[in-house]
Parts: sequence; C-alpha cells; structure tokens
Amino acid sequence: MKHPGWALMRGFWLSWLQYRSFLFILAFGWMIPPLIYMLVWMMVAGSQGIAGFSQGEFAAYYLVLILVNQITYAQTNWTVGDMIRVGEMNRILMRPIAPVYDPLASEIACKIIYLFFDVPLVIVLALILKPEFHIGFTEAALFIPALLAAWALRFLWGYWLALLAFWATKADALLVLQDTLVFLLGGQVAPIMLLPDWMRGLAEMLPFRYMVAFPVEILTGQISGTAILNGFLMQAGWLTLAYILTMVLWKNGVRRYGAVGG
Amino acid sequence: MTETIIAVKALSKNYRVPVRSEGLVSSLKSLFHPSYSQVKAVEDLNFEIGVGEMVGLIGPNGAGKTTTLKMLSGLLYPTTGEVRVAGYVPWERRPEYLRKISIVLGNKSQMLWDIPAMDSFRVLSEIYLVPEKEFRRTLDDLIDLLEMKDLLTKPVRNLSLGERMKCELTASLLYRPALLFLDEPTLGLDVSMQLRLRQFLKEYNRRNEVTVILTSHYMADVQALCPRVILIHHGKLLYDGALDGLARHLAPFKLIKITLDQKNGKTFLNFNQPDDKVEILEHEENKYVMRVEREQVPSLTSRLLQSNSVTDLSIEDPPIEAVMDQIYTGGAA
Repeated sequence: MKHPGWALMRGFWLSWLQYRSFLFILAFGWMIPPLIYMLVWMMVAGSQGIAGFSQGEFAAYYLVLILVNQITYAQTNWTVGDMIRVGEMNRILMRPIAPVYDPLASEIACKIIYLFFDVPLVIVLALILKPEFHIGFTEAALFIPALLAAWALRFLWGYWLALLAFWATKADALLVLQDTLVFLLGGQVAPIMLLPDWMRGLAEMLPFRYMVAFPVEILTGQISGTAILNGFLMQAGWLTLAYILTMVLWKNGVRRYGAVGG
Repeated sequence: MTETIIAVKALSKNYRVPVRSEGLVSSLKSLFHPSYSQVKAVEDLNFEIGVGEMVGLIGPNGAGKTTTLKMLSGLLYPTTGEVRVAGYVPWERRPEYLRKISIVLGNKSQMLWDIPAMDSFRVLSEIYLVPEKEFRRTLDDLIDLLEMKDLLTKPVRNLSLGERMKCELTASLLYRPALLFLDEPTLGLDVSMQLRLRQFLKEYNRRNEVTVILTSHYMADVQALCPRVILIHHGKLLYDGALDGLARHLAPFKLIKITLDQKNGKTFLNFNQPDDKVEILEHEENKYVMRVEREQVPSLTSRLLQSNSVTDLSIEDPPIEAVMDQIYTGGAA
C-alpha cells in the first residue's frame, strides 16, 4: 500500500494550487535580494573580474543560488508556532501518521508549485546573463545530496526553533534571526569566499552556509576535494544536532501542549 | 455488561495557568516573575464504558468535559491516573489506535479548507489506509444518511456551518472507527439539522456498534442519544448512570400537575397538612403545578383525588434542564 504521506502531499498540493498566484508573488519576492546582489557583484566585477570571480561566474553563482534558496526555504516553519498556539496541532496529532509528515508534505507540495515559476524565469535570465559554468560530472552528482541535506538542515533547524512555541508564545522571532543569519553567512549577500576572513571562518563553522551556499559552491565549481568532504561532514553534524533537538523538543513539548481550544 | 472498551482509573489533570492582573505594569512584572496557579481540571475520575454504548458527558462550562474527552482520545497527557481505550494508552497515539478512534472537536476541522470536500475525503481515506472499495461503500452510506450529495464538489470554506458539520462527521467516520468522541456536535446548528444529526448518530450507532461519547450543552442531544450519562462538575464525577435516574438521583422531588373541576376549586386547599412539603409553582385558574417531595407523592395524590373533583392529573419528573441548572448553580447534590 502507498505511504499515507503521499496522500497528505496531494492534499496540500491541491490546496496550494488554489493559492498559486500568492505563491508566485512570494517566490518573486524571495528572488529579488539575490538578483540585486547578483547585479551589484556583476557590476563590481566589470570585465576584469574580482577576487577570481568573473561576471559570468557571479551570474552562475546567483542563478543557482536563487533556485537553491527557493528549494531549501522552509516556509512551513512559520506556521508551526501558530498551530501550537491556537490548537491546530490537535488535528495533526490525531492522525495515524507521524506529525512531521504534515510540514514535510506541505513543503514538498508548495515547492513543486514554486519551481513552476522559478525555473522558467531562471532559464530566461540565464539566456540574458550568460552564466559561466565549469562543472564536471562529479560536481553535478554531488550537488544533489548536498542540496537535499541543505533543505533537510534548513527545515529541521527552523522546525526546532518553531517548536519553542510550546514554551514561549511568540517563537517566530527566532525564525527572523535565522533568515538574517542565512542572508549574511549563507552566501546570499556575497559568496562565502569573498567574505572577510573572520566572517568566512564564522560562516564555515555555523550551520547557515550548509543550508544554501554549500550546494551552490559545489555546482559552480568553487570548492573541490577535501573542501567538499568537510562541507558534507559539517552538514551531517549540524543535521544530526538539529534532528536531536527537534526530537527532544517535540517529545517534551507535546507533553506540555495544552491542546488549546474547542 | 458487554465488553469494556474504555477503562478510566483515578484520572486527574492539573493545568498550570499563568496569572497576572491587567495593565502594563503587571505585564512587565510577570515578565520577570511569572506567577502560576494550579487548576484542577479533572479530579479522580473512575468509570468504564462498554462496546457500543452511547454515553453523554455532561456538566457546566469549565467542568472538565472537554479535558476528559481530550485525555480519552490521546490529545492530552493526564497528571495522574490510567486510561485504556480499546487496549491502548491513548496519549501514546499509536497509529493503530488512532485508526480506531475519531474525535470531532467543535470548531476544529479535519477538512482541507480550500479544496472540494470530495478531495478531502479521498486524502483522508488514504491517510487512514482505507481500501478503495471500502471507501466508496462507506462514503455512499454516509452521503445517503446525511443527505449531502450536493456538497461534495464545493470547497469547504464555501459551506455553511451545518453543511460543514456534515462533512466533518463524514470525514471522521470514513475509516469506520470503533469509537467516536464528539465535542458539542450540534453547536450552532438549526433545529432541524440538530434533529437530523441525532437521528443519524442513533442510526449509525445501532448499525455499526460504534461506541460514542459526546459532550453537549443541549440536553435534547443527550436525551435523544444517550441512555447513560456521566455528569462532571468541578472536575469531579457527580453521577454516572441512566439519564432518567439523573433527575431522581439529583432532584428529590416531582411535579404534580392537576386540573380541577371549576366548581370545587376551593376544596383543593384543604389537603394542606402541616407536614406536607408542597410548593405551588404555577397557578392559573383551576390549573396547578406543584413541587412535591418524592416520597410524599403517593399519599398526596390519593388525598388530592379524594378531596377534589379532578379532571386531569399528571406526575412528572422535573425538566432535566431545571435539575441541571440547580446543580450547576450549586443548589442540589
């Protein structure tokens, strides 16, 4: 028999389709900052390039980043806190399927819709901006697991933050902080390579680079060999920690959950 | 008694509720020194429920009905005590358990808001692993019983409250649960919808031997559906037994309604002896409604009949609402 998670996903997919114009606007909004930074860096690079990046390489970096950012952005984390506060969690707890399937199914369902919007746009931009890619088969192959792990990490990291709503009424503020840190240290404002040394060191230690920049760096050939291996290890480490935190918080939070409302 | 499906032993639930008085100053104070008070929502409940029973969980607002229902279904962890439902500990929420029960909570929806009801039903049936054939059969049954064929293609958000309740019930019964928890199922429905819903629940319970526990503030719901009631007040069990025994148990009086032959109206008053505990509640021309202590009813009635020419006489239990009101406001019990 099919896993019931697929049914959930179809339900969300049907629901999200009703909101496609809303989702397209959101997708467009998320695209704007990387687009701006791309144009700024391309201008700075000029025809000589800067710090080893040519104009075309910046274009390649940011176009991939737009897609990776979209795929890894865990939108559902924003609703977890509300669901806990107003008692929407009841419905999910009473289903004969692990509660985490609910946000997961929602994530995947809306992502498919986002990509209908993003992919054609990125292709058009690619035709205009002529990005330079130098990738081999290995990079392309490694990009996929790095991307999936990045998404899982960004999702779980936001999820455990959101689960703090079991204790504090407005835990969403922490999600804003996460977004900001991803923006600064996740390779959005600039590729990690171009950050000042201390910031770069910080970025390589903290989880945020592994949510967005890492897969982009692989696909654009910025890192190779041991750097890729180290990246995967860091990703796995942070992912494990996020997973443990999620489990612990969930277990204790649900016990505490007042099952609010009618 | 039939096989037990729910066993509750010494069940208690305390809530810790943050308290603070109104105003900005006290809100700042509570930021640093939050104070809490313990609320005993449910205290030492004990009861058993058999397969196929329909039980009404009644009590005033804040009595602990919904809390009890939530602990039975597995939404809440109790502070102390034991519960076994169909052999499971509810709050472990095992998938096998969750496929056996269904809970309909007043204003919380199982339905997906933005898509047609039929799509929701299909998704739910897959989540509950209902085989396609069985799904079709169950759905057809439910659509017939609830007369809701026209609703299937409309998005749930466009439905009226009553229509939504029909969908909600269908959604909760699609996988043929053995146990149904209903929290205020008729809330906000018009009279004929209430009647239909009651008929449906009765019929469904009879056909499928489903155990139903429902809370309701409408005594009509309870009277129509539940041969047995459990009355909770201030979190404690006050009464557990037949509904018609409730009045007897809690209100030690009956109502005598009497209509006298107009001519002999005056002799009526003669019956009044010093030890009679009679209160005349209503008096209109030759019609009287009297509240009489239960044990006095036989002797008083015979005296009334002897000394008056009576055209009509009936002895009734007080209306259940009146009894309830007395308990709720702290009168009887």
